[in-house]
Formats: sequence, structure tokens, C-alpha cells
Amino acid sequence: MSDRKLGWTIHLLAALIIAGLVHIVTILILPRVASRDSYARIASVAPINRFTPLPDARTGAELLPMQDPALARSACRFDLSAGPVRVRADVRGLEGMLTLSFHDRRGGSFYATTDRGALRGGIDVMLLTRDQMTALEALDLEDETPQELRLMAPTHEGFVLAGSLALDAGDLDAARKRLALLSCGRESPRR
Amino acid sequence: MLSLLKSIMAALVGAGLGLWTAWAALERETAFDVVRAGPWRSTPKAAFVTADPYTRAALARSGQVPLSPGEGLTFTAETDETGAPLVTRCDYIIASPIPAARFWTLTPLTDKGALATTANGGTGLTSAEIVRDSSGRFEILAARHARPGNWLALPSEPAFTLALRLYDTPASSLASAMSAGQLPTLRKERCS
Repeated sequence: MSDRKLGWTIHLLAALIIAGLVHIVTILILPRVASRDSYARIASVAPINRFTPLPDARTGAELLPMQDPALARSACRFDLSAGPVRVRADVRGLEGMLTLSFHDRRGGSFYATTDRGALRGGIDVMLLTRDQMTALEALDLEDETPQELRLMAPTHEGFVLAGSLALDAGDLDAARKRLALLSCGRESPRR
Repeated sequence: MLSLLKSIMAALVGAGLGLWTAWAALERETAFDVVRAGPWRSTPKAAFVTADPYTRAALARSGQVPLSPGEGLTFTAETDETGAPLVTRCDYIIASPIPAARFWTLTPLTDKGALATTANGGTGLTSAEIVRDSSGRFEILAARHARPGNWLALPSEPAFTLALRLYDTPASSLASAMSAGQLPTLRKERCS
């Protein structure tokens, strides 16, 4: 092989290796730099630690794309740095269906349930960081099982997305009202 | 001098190629865990924190929050059961079977996946409003203009996509074993 040919081959190989690296880095870095990801979209309407109704999905105006228009939506953006956050719902006698999904800062889901998953007529979830979980477990009495479901959130910030199914077009208002059964708020520290 | 120039060229070409292939992969909605059953397609694991990097990058870019398997399962169809693209100048019959679910909804979307404007201003049908026969089977007629029976109003755009969402369904854990025979038929009727 002539020196000239060898030179071209090396450059071509280098270009391909760079292409591969750039491809991988782009894919991996996108979730960190995306400015209009699901968290940012929810943050534009929802304050911290409170369920806020999301605007109805309408043609040309979708806060989150690809959502079921039959679901009325509300979201609670959480921040665990000041303490655990508790999500509750009283679903006794509920008509229709409530869905709940818990997401980290990048939008990935770490838990999801519907009102079918309720125990004793209620949904009761506590979101904690690893340290808060350790501290809470230290306070637990040995022979007592906690009343709530404790979830360790992968990131301190994130959001809980709730849905309430409208059984038909005329049920949308009622579906929106059913979202009021949900609450989200900072857990007061235990003594 | 010339060799430096060549090195810079190689770096630029490589970077360009890398960016272009990344963009192309996201545009094509590459995902590792795609379930296909007839015309229906689902990515049941897309919602998870542990979803593959392409799925996570695509979701970060679009801002979508897919249904988690704990809530339900989303199937989309861009073609009928023969593989022909769904077009709104044709009527389609969507008929049972359907996997067991507490509720399900059927929504017509534009071919870009956005909500579409339909003749009756509706955004789809739910399992609660479907009329069934005595054995529980159903038939939905998807058409742009009003039809008697279970009518799914189609958008005014030329092409469309269907989204079928099953809520509280045991199919969530069995999604990978789903076959075309368990999901609704999607048959083209007549075209105008």
C-alpha cells in the first residue's frame, strides 16, 4: 500500500470513529440538555408540591404530546430537598378511573398505579430520598408496618402525573372534578 | 500543513456524520423494545427510567410522557391489516377482539401523532360508549363523515394514525407475547 493510500485510510477510519463517538455522546447527552422535555413543560404551568390541573389537550395546543384526550390531567411537581412529599387520594366510591405515575427529573417513570391499586380505599405514597428513607426507617417501630407506600425517588426533583378518565365526551367536567380527590404536599417532619 | 488540513476535514466529516445519524435515529423512532402485532405497535417499556438511550433521547426531545405499564398500554397503528397506510378518504372497520382491560380508548391522530380536528369535534371513543352485540363483540366504523352505530370520526388531514390505549390491563405484563389475533382488526372498507 502506498503512503498516500495509507494516509487516506487512516483519515477515513478516524472520521468513522469520531462519527461513532459523536453519535453516542449526542444520544446520551440529549436528555440532559433538552430544554422542552416533559419536566420543563410541566414546570411551565405547575408549581412545586401541589397538584395543578393541566390544560385540556386540544388540537394544536398540547402541553404534553401523545396524551389521551379522554384523560383529564393534573400534575404535582415535587422537590424532595426540603423533605419527603406525600401523595394521597381517597378513592372510595370513585366512578371512573384515576391513574398516577411518578417520574424523575428526566421524565422516566419509577412507579405507576391506578385507583385499583388502592389499599383500604386510599392511595398513600411517600416520596423520599435515600437519606430520608434511612432516617425514617430508623424511627419505625419494629412491630409496626408503615401505613404508606414508601418510594425512593431516583432524583430529588420530578413530577407526579395524574389522569382521570372521562367515560364519554360529556363526562370531562366530572373527570376534572375527580382529580380533586388527589393531594400532594410536603410531609411534616415526625418527632 | 496539508496533513493538518486533512485531519481537520476528517474530524469535521466524522462529527457531521455522527450528528446526522443521531438525528436520523431519533426521527425514525428507533427503540429497542418494540412489540408488533399485525398493524399495531407498542413500546411498553418506553416510560421506564430504565428505557433504552434512544427512547430516552427521543422522549426528552418530544416532551412525551408515555403510559407506564402500571397504568396501561398504548398501541398505535399507521397502516391497516394489509400494510397499506391509513388514509382518511377511506372508511375502516375496527372490530373485536380486544385484550381484557378495565377501560380502553381509541383516538385518531394526524400522521405526525398530534391531535386532529374531526367532523364532530370529538377526540375518539371510549369502551364505555361503545355499543356491543349480545355476545359482547363490537364493530367501529372509522370514517370522515357521520355513520350510524359506533362511529369514530376521522380527521380532515389526508393521512392518520390510530392510538389504542388499554387501561388496567393484564396485557401490560404480556405485551411482548401479544399477537395480531388478540388485537382489533383494522380492515379497509370503501374509499371515495
